[in-house]
Amino acid sequence: MSAAGFRIVVLLSLGRHPVSGRARRNPLDARALEIGLRLKAAAPGVDLQALHAGDPTEPALRDYLGQGLDKLTVLDLPADHDPVQALMAAVIARQPDLVLAGLRAEGSEDSGLLPYCLAEALGHALVPAVTALDIDGASATITQALPRGRRRTVQVDLPLTVTVAEAAPAPASIAFARARKGRIEIMAAAGQPDPLLAALDRRPWRQRPRPMPVRKKGSAVDRLREMTGATEAQGRVLIDPDPREAAKAILDQLSAIGTIRVSQEPRREKAGDDRPSLLEKDP
Amino acid sequence: MSRPRRDPRTERAARLLPGGTRPRLTLKAAPLDHFRRRDPRELRLRARVPGTARPRFDWTRDVQALASPAAAAVPVASFVPGPIRIEEPAFWVLAVLDQTAGGLDETDRRLLSVARRFAGSTGGVVALCNPDPELATAGADRVVRWPEAAMEPVALETRMAAASVLIQALQPRHVLLSDDPVAGGDMARRLAARMGERLAADIASLTAANDSQPARVGRKAAGGREEWLQVAPLLMTVAADAFAVDEQDLREARMIEPPAIDVVVPRLRDFRLLPVDPEHLPLDETDFIVSAGNGVTDFAAFADVAAALGATRAGSRVVCDAGHLPREKQVGASGTVVTARCYLAFGIAGAPQHLQGITGVRHVIAVNTDLHAEMVKRADLSIIADAQRVMPALAQLARERME
Repeated sequence: MSAAGFRIVVLLSLGRHPVSGRARRNPLDARALEIGLRLKAAAPGVDLQALHAGDPTEPALRDYLGQGLDKLTVLDLPADHDPVQALMAAVIARQPDLVLAGLRAEGSEDSGLLPYCLAEALGHALVPAVTALDIDGASATITQALPRGRRRTVQVDLPLTVTVAEAAPAPASIAFARARKGRIEIMAAAGQPDPLLAALDRRPWRQRPRPMPVRKKGSAVDRLREMTGATEAQGRVLIDPDPREAAKAILDQLSAIGTIRVSQEPRREKAGDDRPSLLEKDP
Repeated sequence: MSRPRRDPRTERAARLLPGGTRPRLTLKAAPLDHFRRRDPRELRLRARVPGTARPRFDWTRDVQALASPAAAAVPVASFVPGPIRIEEPAFWVLAVLDQTAGGLDETDRRLLSVARRFAGSTGGVVALCNPDPELATAGADRVVRWPEAAMEPVALETRMAAASVLIQALQPRHVLLSDDPVAGGDMARRLAARMGERLAADIASLTAANDSQPARVGRKAAGGREEWLQVAPLLMTVAADAFAVDEQDLREARMIEPPAIDVVVPRLRDFRLLPVDPEHLPLDETDFIVSAGNGVTDFAAFADVAAALGATRAGSRVVCDAGHLPREKQVGASGTVVTARCYLAFGIAGAPQHLQGITGVRHVIAVNTDLHAEMVKRADLSIIADAQRVMPALAQLARERME
């Protein structure tokens, strides 16, 4: 990786503990910072800058410094102001090759939209849900976390914005001395109050019961059966087969579902599984 | 007014067939005036087409005969309705499907179901997707296929261009996408950034529109401590666990022309799936589970078959209590509720608590010695045999034949 003049900007937001409600590091942003710090440690010429928009006097911001960051730049904005414009101006001024952010914030709207707005404004390519990043010259090889525990790699050219997923390496623990020593640089920033926040109704989150589907037909007994899945057998039943024959039946069924691939019998009953997937090509 | 009195003697005399030594009675007696019950034998005789050797029945013939009081209760051949057609809907709701598995999966059905709730009876649902025969039963009124250039997995930008051109042309009231951060959620945010729209991310509740007010949505915000309620905006992603998949009426799913787009050179390239060790996946994330119950005694063979098939091991409560598997491998009401696509159960009878844990599983295969076990009723394929004999055979065959 050509280190000299390689600029990284990490966007850090303030998290909120889900139970106590106390301010803390956003765990996803802390992972993004961890990736940035590791890139910097691997190549000393890298210029790593961290940006936060919000209240600069918040003590929890020092937790990021305790993770190994020397300086954090804070754009001084009230809590109900939209940070997109101010952050956009600050990031564009730095002309980064790589922007790192968590997948979503914690403690406000939490929509995960801000990195996309920045990437659109900067003209960066954007890769979501990143767990590992390897920069090689002008391109990067990125590992993404997919649902169901799967991973895939992607090649993409710099400049680049990535959002970091929960599955990325856990951040370093907070060193108290580094948290005290690190500097917080305050920058004045202009912003507008967010009109959405004024138009909202807020109420405490209440966990709802499991949603029940609307049924068009069937009696109460049918619905109950369906809920527990104990509908009458529509499946095949093999009574006391030879073990080899039973194994063949199971393997055929698994390959028909598409769960596994069997070499001798490429039989696929499910029509859906042959159609192209928009997610990835199988290796 | 009293009922006319029946005289059994005259009725019997009317049914007596002439000739013969023994009295023979016909069953084809004319119904009495007051006798209003449906007589299937009579109806069958009337419907019989005369002159054929094999009995043929024409149930539409001889309407006059059927109009007799006895036939009044005959059911008319039930009218099978066609699909619901909406020609000019009051508004459109666009659902952009992921189809990550190729066909329609639970996520896509949920998206269409939520879109239907937004559309109500006056709106129409448009699905932007690969055409699938199941779209009509999933609630789609119209189907727009992805343009050819957008079919490549890396063509994110082209897909986004196709979606935004379609939004321009169709002017839908709402656009719904899934919350998958690398599929629908990614596309939703790209669209929001490109169009300068705000996104209602991961909506968890919905109040449908009525005459006096527009649809409202609620979502988890402020780090999961607050619910934010707002008027439903254009772009929304749907939280996976917040909505069930409703049963839908048959819809038209009429194909409409895909939008003409310019191909955008993809910036991401070379997507490649990495192999993962299924044994280290959490149970609620994995796609294929091999599970052991009280009927399994040979846990070495069980581990072997799981490794051979590339599946994640799990167990019932009994097995975890006995210490054969760690507690985080327990499936059921007191363990993990799994959503795997396939569940292969060895020696599990299917206690209600265990069946609750596999409600979200699509395909179940059971190996059990008891033909009448609940698990056998739940399974698509049941092998009534001892698990200890089937497991080694399956492991061996899998090693021989799997790619």
